[in-house]
Amino acid sequence: MCPAADEQVRVLIVDDHPIWRNGVARDLTELGFSVVGTAGSGMQALRIAKAVQPDVVLLDLNLPDLPGSEVTRQLLTAHPAARVLVLSASAERQDVLDAVTAGASGYVLKSAELRELAEAVLATSAGRAVFTPGLAGLVLGEYRRLSAQRDRAGGPAAPALTSRETEVLRLVAKGLTYPQIAVRLGLSPRTVQNHVQNTLTKLQLSNKAQLVRYAIEEGVE
Amino acid sequence: MCREGFCPDSLTAMADQMWRALAAFRVVALGYAGVLIVRDHSLYAHPGAGLLVLGAMTCWTLTTVAAYARPAGRSRWLLGTDVAVAAAMVMSTRWIDSAARISAGSATLPAFWAAAPVLACAVAGGPWAGIAAGLAIAGADMVEHPQLQPQNTFNGVVLLLVAGGLVGYVVRLGTRAEEAARSATRREAAAAERERLARSIHDSVLQVLALVTSRGRALGGEAAELGDLAAQQEAALRALVSGTGSEDGHDTGLLDVRAVTEPLADGRTTVSCPATAVLLPEPATRALGAAAAAAVDNARRHAGADARCWVLLEDDAAAVLLTVRDDGCGIAAGRLAEAAAAGRLGVAQAIVGRLENIGGTASVISAPGAGTEVELRVPRG
Repeated sequence: MCPAADEQVRVLIVDDHPIWRNGVARDLTELGFSVVGTAGSGMQALRIAKAVQPDVVLLDLNLPDLPGSEVTRQLLTAHPAARVLVLSASAERQDVLDAVTAGASGYVLKSAELRELAEAVLATSAGRAVFTPGLAGLVLGEYRRLSAQRDRAGGPAAPALTSRETEVLRLVAKGLTYPQIAVRLGLSPRTVQNHVQNTLTKLQLSNKAQLVRYAIEEGVE
Repeated sequence: MCREGFCPDSLTAMADQMWRALAAFRVVALGYAGVLIVRDHSLYAHPGAGLLVLGAMTCWTLTTVAAYARPAGRSRWLLGTDVAVAAAMVMSTRWIDSAARISAGSATLPAFWAAAPVLACAVAGGPWAGIAAGLAIAGADMVEHPQLQPQNTFNGVVLLLVAGGLVGYVVRLGTRAEEAARSATRREAAAAERERLARSIHDSVLQVLALVTSRGRALGGEAAELGDLAAQQEAALRALVSGTGSEDGHDTGLLDVRAVTEPLADGRTTVSCPATAVLLPEPATRALGAAAAAAVDNARRHAGADARCWVLLEDDAAAVLLTVRDDGCGIAAGRLAEAAAAGRLGVAQAIVGRLENIGGTASVISAPGAGTEVELRVPRG
């Protein structure tokens, strides 16, 4: 499952701003990543991904043709082994949340330092979730919204956080690193990572189940 | 004036309704006049002329109903002719009917059919046009009945003037209201378009600022200072852009707490919020925002030059929770109590006081070297 140590991580960069696309490609190449392609639109990204089979797709959310969440969904349907890391300057929280529930493994702001970006790409390629404090705040809010919605309207069980998961997410949102959280809660860093990962997986599974339910209902009628 | 089909928008729905009602009124009034003339024409001085007038009224009714149905037909010329025709028919009564019946106060030949052109002028030209047409028809009435008889002619004149003025006034009022509503819709559409353009421009600017930030910091030295400046502007713009969408609660007296927390973000302060609005009554939101700003300000000043700060806004069924955490040098245990005892508790007291005013609580957790965490909690009523 994990690539061999000497195997380079294959990255596809999707961004409609050429300066960003080229700048990030150059930086990642210098750091030893293999940039296997760049794309300026969602459709182009889907076409190129088919040809180059990337490990990690670095995805900007403001694309001229498709919403970022849609690109994420289609990429992951066509290439289940690939991971999507959102790299965005977007100020639209809902866009970020949509992309993450559609299956993206994490979110990095474009103003992040190169070192942070490289770490995030590595973590993503290893299947780990990459959370900024901002994303943790969004995910906490989304779980609360889902549970409030279920309380109001009934309906199918909404995904819920365990109290430990909530605790971990809140600490991420308050800016603590995974090792700091591990120390504070008396857990191993690996366990902290798993908790964070679970919060995302549950949200994505619930989103997928909703889509399937929707498709069946539409199809039956 | 505009042609039909060219700018249908300028034709108000209300005026259109009035024209249709007016057509119906004219037909009903023609029926009433017809009944009177057919019943009484044998008593007239010139019975045949009476029936002729009825025929002319029928023709004129058909002409005007057809013409007024189209906006282009509602011309000054036709309206003027309409008034003249009605006045002529009122005056013809004097010659056609018998003198005895006239002095006994009988109705004029067209009866209240003569009010139709007055209402038409009022709908087309507003209150003053209505009153002017009313005066013209009233003048004809006077000629027909030289001595004012309070029980009918005088009452008729007053009613004509009132109807002309009032209908004109109401139509003008309605038209203006509709125009205002339409221009509001237009403004809203323009604002939405501006916002769409602004979003795309803001996105490009954010991209460039983010680039300068990350490149500048990587280069170090003076470039790093530029990077920090860019980071501040990026955070300010981000807060501004996301603030525009949070006006949800304006009419209800509620205000999105995100609108007051987002502006706290800068190069060293990260603000995390839910994707959906966090609504509290406006005074509570303002107090919470001021308390959070004081906490962030305190962190910037006392936590140390390299300290960073995180603001987390959470919303659950029971309460709104706002946490301000910094990774600075912290406050030694007992120092807060010491300060309180010495009567200098500026910041903490301001924060606690603000929260108490709105029924909330504030707590501070801090240890030397482990930063400070201020938790502000406002229960949901």
